Amino acid sequence: MPAAEVAARVRQSLESVKVSDLENVQLIEVLRMAQQLTDTMQMFFGSLDKSIHQEFNSIAEYIAKTRDEIAHLRPNDIRESRLPGAGAELEALIADTERATETIMSEAETLMISETDDLDAYKMEVSDAMTKIIEACSFQDLTGQRVSKVVSSLKHIEERVARFAQTMGVNDAEATANEKAEEERKAKLHLNGPAIGGPETDQTNVDDLLAMDQDAIDALFD
Amino acid sequence: MAVEMTMPILVVDDYKTMVRIIKNLLKQIGFENVDEASDGTEAFEKMKKKKYGLVISDWNMEPMTGYELLQKVRADESTKATPFIMVTAESKTENVIAAKKAGVNNYIVKPFNAGTLKAKMTAVIGDF
Repeated sequence: MPAAEVAARVRQSLESVKVSDLENVQLIEVLRMAQQLTDTMQMFFGSLDKSIHQEFNSIAEYIAKTRDEIAHLRPNDIRESRLPGAGAELEALIADTERATETIMSEAETLMISETDDLDAYKMEVSDAMTKIIEACSFQDLTGQRVSKVVSSLKHIEERVARFAQTMGVNDAEATANEKAEEERKAKLHLNGPAIGGPETDQTNVDDLLAMDQDAIDALFD
Repeated sequence: MAVEMTMPILVVDDYKTMVRIIKNLLKQIGFENVDEASDGTEAFEKMKKKKYGLVISDWNMEPMTGYELLQKVRADESTKATPFIMVTAESKTENVIAAKKAGVNNYIVKPFNAGTLKAKMTAVIGDF
């Protein structure tokens, strides 16, 4: 029952009490009106309770579903295992490549300044250095395996996040001010990083661009 | 005018390995007077203290990028004439154009080889 209707009924009951001569009113009559008032109020609160109850029920269901979906997301696994694991692999990968680079570079640098007067000794030195360089190249196998582990972790996370976003119908919030500022800085300073699959513009095309006069360059953007 | 083989060259890159590679290649082609810096800020400070015959700089560095360094170098009276070669993995057309507009003398895309470095240096500072 709408609130306005309830208020009208209550007002009506009070009016009828007022207009009657209270001194002559029988107790039974007062009780009858009180009963009527109570019934009206009960109907109102009853309807109110029911809709609130339904509302709370659906909120509770949504919360349970959200909790369930978050559990499927396994955020603790991502935070405590997947991401730190991937980070550790990438750090190890950097260390592997640094070590290999150091070995290869040092061997090459040593050869560049070695004495060549004694050919037999020089040949031996070159042969030793080449063996060390070849051994150092085993980093490629190790880094390949490490990258595979990282890619597999990222795929797990991607699948779970995608499922969560889809089931919950999540829309992305706007990027934070910091993220936007970083994007703007990158665009302004042309920080694109290395392209996937080799340089986007190869050296020959770079040379052509540098050789062009300003009018021809401007025409590219028309 | 012949190129002075003892002229100081400044190599700017945040990756020590890349600095080492460039220094080795420079040594191979006869330039041994090489200083290094790991970003634009450090490079510009060095350029204010010492006159370099050539700057070879990466683009993507923090906090100051090679692009900002180039703009700063060209805007400063004492450094504006220094030859500047960009050596970078940034290979979008917009990067090449932006560098050209900012006054770069040449642009080398990573990965590169000794031949390319020598050819571009020759184009910028003359035969050696």
